[in-house]
Amino acid sequence: MQQGGKIVGNSLMTAENLSKFYQMGEVTVKALKEASFQLYEGELVVVLGPSGSGKSTLLNIIGGMDRPTGGKLFYRGKPLHQAGDKELTLYRRHQVGFVFQFYNLMPNLTALENINLSVQIASDPLSPTELLAKVGLADRADHFPSQLSGGEQQRVALARALAKNPKLLLCDEPTGALDYSTSIQVLELLKEACEAYAKTVVIITHNTAIAQMAHRVFYLKDGKLERIEENQTPLSPEKVTW
Amino acid sequence: MLLRKMLRDIFENKGAYLACLVIIAMGLMIFTSFASVVQSLNVSQHEFYENQNFADGFVQVAGIPPGAVAKLGDIEGIRDIQGRLVKDVTLWQPESPENIYLRLISVDPGEANPINGVLLSQGRPLQKSAREMWLDNQFFAAHNLSLNDQLEIIAAGRRQRLTVVGTGSSPEFVYALRSMADIYPDPETFGIGFVPWDTVQTIFPGTVSFNELVFTMKPGAEFETVREELERQLAPYGLISIIPREEQVSHQLLQMEIDGVESMSTAMPVMFLSIAAMILYITLKRLIEQQRGQIGILKADGYSNGEILRHYLSYALFIGLVGGIAGSLMGSLFAYPITGIYQDFFNLPAFTAVFSPFYFISGVILSVVFALLAGYQGAKKVLSLEPAEAMRPPAPIAGKRIFLEKFSILWRLLNTQGRMAVRNLTRNKGRSLFILFGIMICFAISSFTWSMNDIFQKMLYDQYEKVEVYDLKVTFSQPLKQESVLRELRSNEGVQRVEPMAEVPVTLKHQWHEQDVVIIGVLPDSKLYNILDSNYNRLEPPENGILLSERLAGLLNATVGTTLSLESPLKPDDRENTVVVAGIVPQYVGMNAYMEISSLQRAIKEPGLTTSAMVNMDRKAIPAFKEKYQAAGNIAAIEENGLRLSKMKELMDTYGSMIYLYALIGVIIGFAIIYSSSVITIAERERELASMMVLGMTPEEVLSVVTFEQWCIGIPALILGIPVAKGMMGSFGQLLNSDLLTMPTTLSSWAMFLAFAVTAASIWIAQRAAARKIRGFSLSEVLKSRE
Ligand SMILES: Nc1ncnc2c1ncn2[C@@H]1O[C@H](COP(=O)(O)OP(=O)(O)OP(=O)(O)O)[C@@H](O)[C@H]1O
Ligand SMILES: [Mg+2]
Repeated sequence: MQQGGKIVGNSLMTAENLSKFYQMGEVTVKALKEASFQLYEGELVVVLGPSGSGKSTLLNIIGGMDRPTGGKLFYRGKPLHQAGDKELTLYRRHQVGFVFQFYNLMPNLTALENINLSVQIASDPLSPTELLAKVGLADRADHFPSQLSGGEQQRVALARALAKNPKLLLCDEPTGALDYSTSIQVLELLKEACEAYAKTVVIITHNTAIAQMAHRVFYLKDGKLERIEENQTPLSPEKVTW
Repeated sequence: MLLRKMLRDIFENKGAYLACLVIIAMGLMIFTSFASVVQSLNVSQHEFYENQNFADGFVQVAGIPPGAVAKLGDIEGIRDIQGRLVKDVTLWQPESPENIYLRLISVDPGEANPINGVLLSQGRPLQKSAREMWLDNQFFAAHNLSLNDQLEIIAAGRRQRLTVVGTGSSPEFVYALRSMADIYPDPETFGIGFVPWDTVQTIFPGTVSFNELVFTMKPGAEFETVREELERQLAPYGLISIIPREEQVSHQLLQMEIDGVESMSTAMPVMFLSIAAMILYITLKRLIEQQRGQIGILKADGYSNGEILRHYLSYALFIGLVGGIAGSLMGSLFAYPITGIYQDFFNLPAFTAVFSPFYFISGVILSVVFALLAGYQGAKKVLSLEPAEAMRPPAPIAGKRIFLEKFSILWRLLNTQGRMAVRNLTRNKGRSLFILFGIMICFAISSFTWSMNDIFQKMLYDQYEKVEVYDLKVTFSQPLKQESVLRELRSNEGVQRVEPMAEVPVTLKHQWHEQDVVIIGVLPDSKLYNILDSNYNRLEPPENGILLSERLAGLLNATVGTTLSLESPLKPDDRENTVVVAGIVPQYVGMNAYMEISSLQRAIKEPGLTTSAMVNMDRKAIPAFKEKYQAAGNIAAIEENGLRLSKMKELMDTYGSMIYLYALIGVIIGFAIIYSSSVITIAERERELASMMVLGMTPEEVLSVVTFEQWCIGIPALILGIPVAKGMMGSFGQLLNSDLLTMPTTLSSWAMFLAFAVTAASIWIAQRAAARKIRGFSLSEVLKSRE
């Protein structure tokens, strides 16, 4: 595919008419309506949309935390929409890394141990200490989450997600709880993950400014994937301002 | 609507609350039932003793003429003293397979205020010199008798008829044992007959003196001073023993039972309620932790601290009230069957089950108070929460290094999940201790109860299957010439072996220790009576010297080689004999000493005399043998070993079901603790566990963190449970040990295995529940919100 003048990777995921409905008694909430798209290797995608538009729903389905009620989803040609719990677990274990707004670190494991926790179950992990150094926390390896700031915790969470060496890095409002400069740090790391480690990175955000650093931007509204915009000239994060 | 919120919250966490409810209900059931039974036992005992003028002291003498009794009434401290003749006779019942004994007690129909007076339930007063008697109610009922039936007794070598003209109960035989060796009353084979004194004199011709005295004391009188004076004055009449009421068999056993039930009626419920309180406390504390946000909103809305606290206390109130009412109700009902059991054993006329509103209400109050206290402890934190602060997430749980990490080799063996589990244990030390305690209790109670079961079986069956291996024991009414009596018994058809056995009551003394015991004398190579050591090896009775049972040796402070002095109370003026302890043997039923028969006869200077004989014979020939000797004047009793064994088995079966009840209680407590804390742990760590699943861990891997944690507590708890169970056995043994029973305190390995299996199963079931919960996590929902 053509992007910003250079070819990026092959297709990693294909979604065809993905839907997610929640039955709430009489009412059916249509959280996601027939979304079709592709995700490519090594690209950075930002998902934008108002609150309640179905962003998290979409991400959870892509990440194998939830199953669609309708439509098809293929990961490298393998159907995820009909995968069992076991297969989804294996998919998450080997292919996906998650980063959340609230870091979800294990409170009684140190920074390094938190990363080790995911290294243990990975088949081809990266070095935890190197990663910790990369996120600039080499000297905080033995600190517990309660001894770290929010931005530091988020960097540990990012290192934990990367440590499994997943193909896909999914971030649900990773900067939502952080201030401007800390957010930029985290975004730089995400960008680097995408480029240096050739990950496909999907970032959900309310912050339209962040979309400037994406290769592509998905616009969601009322559960509908309204349009996908390609960004010919993605900015580097330090140039993004809000 | 806060009430609805409460009910919904409770339902959401039904596991923990249910466990709490069940334990409260069980505790209160025990409380109300036992407390009302104790009260009713106490009241009826007191009334009965009072009304029937129960004696304060009991004296046995060789013989005292009625004329000499009145003078004893002048002794300082004695209010009233009366004499009587007490004799055991057998009933003429040729068709019955076992001997039926009747204890005849002389009464004076003219006495206006008899000591140990019989409370007549039916019939009429006895008439002087008439050939009639009263029977105790139990015996009367057990034999389906009716008034004016005639019973034939064998007394003075003759069959003699007595007419039953009344039935009643005596304070002296509330718990009617024929002898201490009987353990439990058996109205089928033993009853009490009350006969006018002058009739007794015709039944046993030539009787002119009493062999027992009973007396009451003035208020404030000292038993010891009365005893000393009696000893002095009764010496010429062949004083055998003087015992206070406290040592009287029936009273002692009744009192022991009442005390036992009473302590159980307080200790058990307190234990149960404390455990329930603990669960409630943990559950509520966690709920409030979890609902900080909601509390903040309520406060911001203008709800007062009191209102919010009241809301959370209403959870505790609800549990306490429901558990309390259910438990007290069950307890009130349960009091009836318990009373029924006691009525079978204890002959207390006024003793019936009553619904006690007092204990019902105090039970409910007790439960509510416990629940509210626990609830307040758990919920008081809402008071100090500022609304703004409450809406912020709680301070993150601080991870900490733990002590174990100093041992880096050990620590490195653990993978990250393992470390997490171990740190979690210390994160909530109180709760870990509580789980530890629960598992320990579960294990200790079940291994203790099962061991008890094994031990009782062993104690009783060993006695009749391994020690006393004869078929029949013939007891003579007075010592007989050994040679001629053995020859006579041997001459019967079907008799295979006859051996003499001398049972001699003596007083053994060492230093200031003194014990009245029966020495059993058997042949050196006896085939019918085995003296066994703790490994079941046969010991020969020593040619010289004496073997003591362990308990007796302890009471006399004697060891092998100790010289004891030996006195026969029948010949108090005799010169003292000495005998050397040759060995100490275990003995679980009874407390005896053993000697070789001829050296025993020499020691008491009655060579060639024996008091009983053991017989091995053809089963088929037994009835004829018994029929032949039953009426013989010099034979007091013929006992069949097989019958005693089957009786014992019957008793053990009743006892066995009690044991299983206790074991069940232990298991329920343990299970409730393990289950509720495991459910709470999962709920509390939902987010953490879900995060692990998002990382791609399987539910099994996530569960393993939790289970590893539980086994980390479980295994040490099981190990700690062993000494606890041993301690329980020790103190129970102490309680039970008497001249009658000596309890070995070894935990049987089978019981430990069973207890281990049961405890492990409880843990496993709790873990299954946890697994179900983990599998049911909806990842996207758990992680959607912040904590
Ligand atoms: N478990 C659920 N049950 C019922 N409805 C749900 C559930 N989860 C999400 N929804 C609904 O689906 C819609 C999309 O929710 P989603 O969480 O994907 O929104 P979002 O775009 O992530 O919003 P936000 O930016 O606020 O996080 C919403 O209308 C929400 O109410
Ligand atoms: Mg969202």
